[in-house]
Amino acid sequence: MILRLKGSHFFIAFVICIVCFARCHDSIEMPDVRNIDLAGIPYLPEPFNLEVPVNFPLFEPPADNSMTVDGIGLGRKLFYDPILSADSTISCSTCHQQAKSFTDNLPVSEGIAGKTARGSIDLINVGFEYHGMFWDGRAATLELQAIQPVENPIEMGETWDNVMMKLQRQESYRIGFRKAFGIDNSSLMTKELVAKAIAQFERTIVSGNNSKYDRFKRGEIFLDDNETNGYLMFFNLDPVLPDAQCGHCHSAPLLGTTDYFNNGLQESSDLDGFADKGLGLIDGKSSDNGKFKTPTLRNLVFTAPYMHDGRFNTLEEVMAHYTSGGKDSPNKSPFLNNLHLTESQKADVISFLLTLTDSTVLTNPAFSRPF
Amino acid sequence: MKIQHLFIAFIIVGMFQACKGDQEKTGSITLHFKAFYDGQPLSMLSTKPFTAPEQLQFTRLSFFISDLALMDQSATVALKDIDLVDMSFDDINSADNGYTIEVSDLQVKNYSGLKFGIGVPADLNAKKPVNFPSSNPLSDPNAYWSGWDSFIFMKTEGRIDTLGNGAFDTGFAYHTGTNELFRTVTATLPISIEDGKNKEIDVDIDYKKILEGIDIKALPLNSNPKDTLQIGMIIRNLANALTLVQ
Repeated sequence: MILRLKGSHFFIAFVICIVCFARCHDSIEMPDVRNIDLAGIPYLPEPFNLEVPVNFPLFEPPADNSMTVDGIGLGRKLFYDPILSADSTISCSTCHQQAKSFTDNLPVSEGIAGKTARGSIDLINVGFEYHGMFWDGRAATLELQAIQPVENPIEMGETWDNVMMKLQRQESYRIGFRKAFGIDNSSLMTKELVAKAIAQFERTIVSGNNSKYDRFKRGEIFLDDNETNGYLMFFNLDPVLPDAQCGHCHSAPLLGTTDYFNNGLQESSDLDGFADKGLGLIDGKSSDNGKFKTPTLRNLVFTAPYMHDGRFNTLEEVMAHYTSGGKDSPNKSPFLNNLHLTESQKADVISFLLTLTDSTVLTNPAFSRPF
Repeated sequence: MKIQHLFIAFIIVGMFQACKGDQEKTGSITLHFKAFYDGQPLSMLSTKPFTAPEQLQFTRLSFFISDLALMDQSATVALKDIDLVDMSFDDINSADNGYTIEVSDLQVKNYSGLKFGIGVPADLNAKKPVNFPSSNPLSDPNAYWSGWDSFIFMKTEGRIDTLGNGAFDTGFAYHTGTNELFRTVTATLPISIEDGKNKEIDVDIDYKKILEGIDIKALPLNSNPKDTLQIGMIIRNLANALTLVQ
């Protein structure tokens, strides 16, 4: 009993000492990370000139977010840093993994609090997409897109106030923000700048030179018979072959489009019956219910499973879906009818799809984890 | 000295007033491109009778217009070089208002008519979407068909109930394109632009007339510019389907 009392006294005294020490330490040595002068750090922005593949759309980064070497470097670090999530387990790269062509190979992505509603979308050439981000187009730009996952309770479950506090605490980030954006004080580190930096990095993820298809288009190589047949059917270039109807939505050179389509995944007798309303929930147009963004087909060999909900595991399943005409609903794309393609013709289209593979994206050190 | 200053000020004010008086008088024009079906405003997914017992529902109605201009006695006054007229409206009120193009600062004058191209003129059609900034409607890769090396001039899409039983079982899509299918339409009628006023003009397109004589069931998806039975027919029907209303 005596010993126990003594023990508790010691414990109380110990706690008091720790608290006092911590308070003294805090008040004496801990600077206010929200107000640190950064003006002494050199700000020498070096413009970054993106190498745009021939025949690609014009590259139009926002006027207020010009790309710099330091901006991209900061964005790359932030992209890979789980500091953005509440428990430091989830980063942008959790769902957008370089080795998986910036997807996660899951039907629907997993965040801090379980499964999200949709799969992660490939980031290749995302800097050339000017008509909305996410499967439902709910963010107009990459900068606005990068803001959203942090406070999504399922994805990262964090508050931007906390994120900024955590970033301000780290000297490397304070220096990074100074070098990227020229801010004079840590108080000027904002979520908007975080998003700008991440967007700068994402705009560097470009693929348009190295695939077999690209080299074929440049006249450097031949496609074999199967690939050629698939190419002709994909873009409906030969009246003798059936039109596989792919090119209406997956236009060259990005092999995606700016548009959103109902591609026959959900059956509904009316426009309000879709389980996932997609674009319609964002723009309020009932005729857009059930429509989703057309993703790029580049590197699709690495991005299974397919569709916004990851329902198809293989390209054969995808082809079977499209050639059958899909599930019926009022605003289903008119191009989805029974196409009567033979098994051989379906296989040829898949052969062509595989020519869109650029594995250099998966190993390019400029896109890799920086730490 | 003071009188001299006052005199100079008076002269300056006088000159200013004279300049102001010489300012060109201007007005504006608003064009409403409206889709109709058999004389009735056409909204998307509304059911319309076609060749009995077939019924139609439209899901997309759009076309490029180019070189939109008012005609003067001696010349034309350019209003817009290119635009995508998208009349795919969900509700009847929006369909009734149509797709609008507004042009201001037009010289006050009695013009003799209006003309525009349906499609993309050859000089622009020689380019590709990648040649245009994202703000230009021609930048849309979905508006280009590489098989023809041409922009898609006109999209008419929907679905058809082939049996007339309420089951819209087949999608249809007719896309036109290539220089051979570019058409210029001209309407000669007096259009008076008045000082400080807006002139409203409706350009009505009746899709029953556009699809006149076409067997949708026979070939519901057609984008072959050399096809005469469907694509060629749509082009031939164009002029008859257009009406200008002041």
